[in-house]
Amino acid sequence: MDNRVLLRNADEMRAAVEKVADSIICEFGQSGLADVALLGLFKAGVPLAGRIAEVIKERTGVDLACGTLDISMYRDDFGQRTALPLIRETEIPFAVDNARLILVDDVLSTGRTIRAALDAVTDYGRPALIRLAVLVDRGGVEYPIRADYIGWTLQVQSDRKVLVEFSEEDGSDGVYEVAWQRRAE
Amino acid sequence: MSSNFQWTRKDLLSLYDLEAQEIEFILDTAAEFKKVSARKVKKVPALRGKTVVNFFFEPSTRTRVSFELAEQRLSADIVNVTASTSSLTKGESLLDTVRNIEALNVDLLVMRHPVPGAANFVAERVGAGVVNAGDGAHSHPTQALLDLFTIREHKGRIKGLKVAIVGDIMHSRVARSNLWGLLKLGAEVTLVGPSTLAPREFEEVGVRVCHNLEEAIADADVVNMLRIQRERQESGFFPSTGEYARFFGLNSNTARFLKDDALIMHPGPINRDVELSSELADGSRSVILEQVTNGLAVRMAVLFLVAGCLKK
Repeated sequence: MDNRVLLRNADEMRAAVEKVADSIICEFGQSGLADVALLGLFKAGVPLAGRIAEVIKERTGVDLACGTLDISMYRDDFGQRTALPLIRETEIPFAVDNARLILVDDVLSTGRTIRAALDAVTDYGRPALIRLAVLVDRGGVEYPIRADYIGWTLQVQSDRKVLVEFSEEDGSDGVYEVAWQRRAE
Repeated sequence: MSSNFQWTRKDLLSLYDLEAQEIEFILDTAAEFKKVSARKVKKVPALRGKTVVNFFFEPSTRTRVSFELAEQRLSADIVNVTASTSSLTKGESLLDTVRNIEALNVDLLVMRHPVPGAANFVAERVGAGVVNAGDGAHSHPTQALLDLFTIREHKGRIKGLKVAIVGDIMHSRVARSNLWGLLKLGAEVTLVGPSTLAPREFEEVGVRVCHNLEEAIADADVVNMLRIQRERQESGFFPSTGEYARFFGLNSNTARFLKDDALIMHPGPINRDVELSSELADGSRSVILEQVTNGLAVRMAVLFLVAGCLKK
């Protein structure tokens, strides 16, 4: 965690979450939000989905259904690593069939996590539509995937990683840039 | 448990080899795989393109079916080899058989073999991942894991629980595997059986050995009844099946002092009314069929973990 550079502070993060929430409200309208559900991707997409839901509730009074999704069983690099982290709890407390579903992740990078998430979620049912919300679009997608609701678009060098921290998980809010470390290799 | 812990083993040979946090890691992973079998789409793509050979040198129905289903639900390709169909009947050595199979670029071997240590022997000599599905009286790690999973699901924990394992301890890989798993996770284990089948020597590893069933199960949270093999009677380990059932079988008479919330477990197949009465096997305290369901989840988790760490 050395040499990390603060990109956005807690206030700026709050503003970006509001921007994402407002774009969602804008697309679906107050009445259309009823059958919209958020699905947070582990790890940081989960607290982010909670924040977005909070803002939408403040703005419209609508309580969006929120779920969590772990994509470990769907990764395209399975078997190519030397260590596996714990699978986190996938909990989808709403019917996926015909839902208007918004996948939520902190950072859009290669697009591979989102590709896996699309496969994972469609094993639970056939949503009416799937959208993607991210706090940071850092550039560098390798698959034909783009985000629909974006906090910031940043250009980050390929040897750097964008890290989003949430007070619930990490003690405080903030967006950082760090040197890219290959996981457990 | 620290959420930073990561799985790094390419084989699962015995619970004796594992740290407590590795065992808990498998159980936590299995909880997510249990949900997969409850979905409409009961399959994930994790092992797509991987080949698993189920190598069964000893007869087995439930373990083999459970592994096979687990492999299918992980999208692996499967080849089944049994002792009667393998070249071992033509005198080929175990190592030659395994090397030939590996030359076909197989990723995982699931192995059941009558010789203790057979899975370890193979694992040290092949690049493929090896999962021990039972080696003689030595070890049967996925059985112990599914027992631990079932206990934890009902009791919320393993630590501090009193677990009685009853029957032919001496010849049982289920007993040995359970014992290591339970001890590592902090349970108090009592081994129960006639002195010929539950010898005092086991006390050296930190368990209680008891030759009186009613006394041993009075304060037990879990009673795990092992299958009694009738051929042991012929070898003189106990006088008759009837006498065994009277003293060491769990039935309405011997279970009088069993706690109301005790779990009754059995690895199957049951000798009904020998080690366990039908009434109790099918009663409200029995979790025997849940053990079967959980076995699938645990085996999916184990195969997923070892297949995920094959690259060296």
